[in-house]
Amino acid sequence: MTMDCLQFRRSAGADPQRLDDAARAHAGTCPPCAAHLRELRSLDARILAALEVPVPGADGAAGGSSATVLGVERRRWLALAASIVAGVLVGTLLWVAGPQNSLARDLVDHLGHEPEALVVTGRPEDAEVLDAVLERAGIRLRPEVGTVSYANSCEFRGHDVPHLVVQTGDGPVTVMVLRHERPARPVRFREGGHTGRIVPVGPGSVAVIGEAGVDLEQVTSAVTEAVEWL
Amino acid sequence: MNAPLAGKDGEAAFVRLCEELRPDLYRFAFWLARDRAVAEDVVQEALLRAWRSRDSLGEAGAAKPWLLTIVRREHARLYERKRHDTVPVDELVHSESAELAAAADQETMDVRRAILALEDDYREPLVLQVLMGLSTQEIAAQLGLTQAAVLTRLFRARNKLRRALGVTGGEAE
Repeated sequence: MTMDCLQFRRSAGADPQRLDDAARAHAGTCPPCAAHLRELRSLDARILAALEVPVPGADGAAGGSSATVLGVERRRWLALAASIVAGVLVGTLLWVAGPQNSLARDLVDHLGHEPEALVVTGRPEDAEVLDAVLERAGIRLRPEVGTVSYANSCEFRGHDVPHLVVQTGDGPVTVMVLRHERPARPVRFREGGHTGRIVPVGPGSVAVIGEAGVDLEQVTSAVTEAVEWL
Repeated sequence: MNAPLAGKDGEAAFVRLCEELRPDLYRFAFWLARDRAVAEDVVQEALLRAWRSRDSLGEAGAAKPWLLTIVRREHARLYERKRHDTVPVDELVHSESAELAAAADQETMDVRRAILALEDDYREPLVLQVLMGLSTQEIAAQLGLTQAAVLTRLFRARNKLRRALGVTGGEAE
């Protein structure tokens, strides 16, 4: 089924993250609609950031509630947990980091293993090296993504994943394509002086990580659109 | 996420699961109620209610929509009980802005204001989609609407936000 621009904009406007085949095909042949899609995805990233209001009692969040309210809530949780698992150390149950947080932490930890990758340069990675890394991961990367200055196959959480560095106007940004990790929704994080996005794409996700303060919206949008799963 | 939740191990897993989902549940409740104190009450009561009826939850994979339903019901119940007066959106934004501005930049604040100003019918499916990651089919089931109605509301919600935020570009109506 083919789609015209009006149908595409209605479809993308309702769900820009999950396009059907007809919409994807239309975006591939219609530059104005492709630009409209990028704008919608950028808007979604802003909406998500806005929806993530501070959570009382969450680590690192600006609480927003009075200490009394927070204390009452924690006490009620502690009481609840205590009634559930007598004899178990409640604290270890209550404040276990969620899986998305630990993924963010693992990603940032991984950057520390290859600090030499994060240099400002206009020199692209050797095309053969980049192709080999992408082929090993079973993906293709369209050239619109920009200058890829570093490419390596890294072991991450038991899998070989492409570790790329893309040069942006704000400096180098790390991109990792995670076929085996798929959050239910796009995730933003701040971890260890870095800021990042993990966006579900295809069967997995794409993680984009930069120094704190770097604007990742454009590069995230460009990368997620440039990845093709084979 | 598909581990069974029976037995002692299941109880511990249930607590862990609730704690992992609590931030998102709080945020969902906040955008439903547009009030932090109400959101805290709603989530607290919803989690206690969930604990009491945890046997009806078969496996962890089904927990999120199940808990969302409980939060929605608890919000409706609390709202019914307290019979909140209607608050003009400007007043609402002003009353919440100090807390919401914590650790947020101006752009994020502008988007929050625009979302707070959306009608419930548009804001709720948008929150379920963008924040909670639900598909339009799942949102339809959650809200008791047809999928077509959900698509229309989501499309209109984004158009309203684009206009409110001055995002340029083509719009289809």
